[in-house]
Amino acid sequence: MRPAPGRRSERGGAPAEGRARRSAAPVIEARGLHKVYVMEGGLEVRALRGLDLSVEDGEFLAIMGPSGSGKSTLLQIIGCLDGPTAGSYRLAGQEVGAMSEDELAEVRNRRIGFIFQSFNLLPRATALRNVALPLMYRGVGSRERAERAAAALERVGLGDRLGHRSNELSGGQRQRVAIARALVTEPDILLADEPTGNLDSRTGEEILALFVALHGEGRTVLMVTHEADVARHTERIVHIRDGVVESSERVERGASSGAP
Amino acid sequence: MLLENLRTAFEALAGNRLRSVLTLLGVMIGVFAVTTTISLGAIATAGITSQLQSFGNQALFITPNEDNPRSTDFNDADIEALSRLPVSILRQRTVRGVARAGTEEAPLSLNGVTANAPQVDRTLKLERGRYFTDEEDRRAAAVMVLSADAKETLFPDDPNPVGREVSVSVAGSRTFYTVIGVKEPLTGAFSFAASAAADIPLQTLYLNYPSVERGAYPFLPVTVSLERDLGDIEAQVDAILTRRRGADTFRIQTIEGALTVFNTITTILQAVLGGIGAISLLVGGIGILNIMLVSVTERTREIGLRKAMGAKKGVILQQFLIEAVALTVVGGLVGLALAIGVLYLAVALVPFLDQVVLSPFTVLLGLFVSVATGVVFGVWPASRAANLSPIEALRYE
Repeated sequence: MRPAPGRRSERGGAPAEGRARRSAAPVIEARGLHKVYVMEGGLEVRALRGLDLSVEDGEFLAIMGPSGSGKSTLLQIIGCLDGPTAGSYRLAGQEVGAMSEDELAEVRNRRIGFIFQSFNLLPRATALRNVALPLMYRGVGSRERAERAAAALERVGLGDRLGHRSNELSGGQRQRVAIARALVTEPDILLADEPTGNLDSRTGEEILALFVALHGEGRTVLMVTHEADVARHTERIVHIRDGVVESSERVERGASSGAP
Repeated sequence: MLLENLRTAFEALAGNRLRSVLTLLGVMIGVFAVTTTISLGAIATAGITSQLQSFGNQALFITPNEDNPRSTDFNDADIEALSRLPVSILRQRTVRGVARAGTEEAPLSLNGVTANAPQVDRTLKLERGRYFTDEEDRRAAAVMVLSADAKETLFPDDPNPVGREVSVSVAGSRTFYTVIGVKEPLTGAFSFAASAAADIPLQTLYLNYPSVERGAYPFLPVTVSLERDLGDIEAQVDAILTRRRGADTFRIQTIEGALTVFNTITTILQAVLGGIGAISLLVGGIGILNIMLVSVTERTREIGLRKAMGAKKGVILQQFLIEAVALTVVGGLVGLALAIGVLYLAVALVPFLDQVVLSPFTVLLGLFVSVATGVVFGVWPASRAANLSPIEALRYE
């Protein structure tokens, strides 16, 4: 029933030498991840089939693959939105699989900043309140929430849009708000699921530049995309097919990095 | 967090204003019915009690037993026998006629009574003039004391008709009377008894209307001073009349007895209104349940997002519970305000209700009922929201 885990292991995933700012232990350590969805009518879809992945602190990673390859499922498991059917996932050294729902909520709140393709903002709330939302669930007081949310919006270039409702903002501005919301908790990793998928190419470029800049500040960023142009902005591209890592390639320096 | 959830709840409700208002109607009507019911009962009881206190003494009302064919009117000997008790008894006979004063003409009841009527009937108070005396009764003087209603119909333009004449036709024969007094209007619980009537001395009635049988009384109003035990007096009256007339030939009624009837009616009314209230609350609660389920479904993605941002189960549960309770509390407050308005209106319109009695208990009960409805009918939708899987909620279209 269960395929032998780790048969097709990740290639080139070993910690790169010569990067002093990275700690020795990987921030993400997935071993033999399986995910089986049981559809209505009992049909089983095996989205992940023994996937291994490890990501170092401070890496900028693109996850690519055809639709149905399991890349979004992987990102959701990494983001603790969903649990694996089998296998081990350690986030910053902690085993996630054994956690209760509320513990997972805590991890999502403290360690992970999630950025969605469709932004997922509260439409009637202002940019400031949207960004402050994760801080509220952490129990931060309202004044500190407002200060930190304003700073995060400043960081993504929306310092003049604090009081705008998100349904009054353009697509690019909305995604910036979403990024500010992911940043505001100072998470270990930023996870972005096709963050430029709903944007025109120029706005997409601006958002990508923002991710490059955030990585430049030392943040770990994982981005799911199916566009090679987008993936080229990152440091490493992991290709996924049929629920396992097919290959992992380092992006050559100077190829098209938009980092400032 | 609580404040933030409150704010979110009110924003969500304001975002669907029409839907929210329609939803809270049921709870509003329910709380309105429940609080009105309880308060009306208290107000009516307080009103009746204060009326009785203003009456100043206790009363019995003795009538023949109409179900018993051997039962007859009471006679003077009956009254003499009863007068040994510490009571006052009014001898009273009534004839009906048509009165004329100047150009005004109206039907009028002539009550032949003894001169002690103001002592026996404490609701009898004079606005003008005087009551007749024992001496006037003995010599059958042609004087009369008008009720307020009779004064209004016969002398609408004369503020003080004392000294003027009224002619009364009874069965074709006409008699003239001089007005010597006008009664105050009846107030409160007794105002239903207001009618165009005039008191004349009993002997005058006998003299002018010989067809009226002397010494036969179709009912006996008996007054007992407050210090006496009414039950005790009632038992003695019963014993005396039973000995003289035989068992089952008469009935004794008390105001307390009438109150019991009144209380029964109030209780039935309260039960009916309370039932309507309970049903409205149930239906209103189901409305809340329904709309909250819709709200949770509509906002599945929002819930998924909140969970993705780290909201724990309890926080989501609280958010939707607050939303449900906010709906019911707003409904309850509107219902309570309506109830208070209706109570003031009732007191203004119904004569024997004299003041609004609004206990803090009633207000608290109304609020409690609204909160409880929100919690009871909101908890299931809220727990559905809280138990959504974040990823499935985010994927929901």
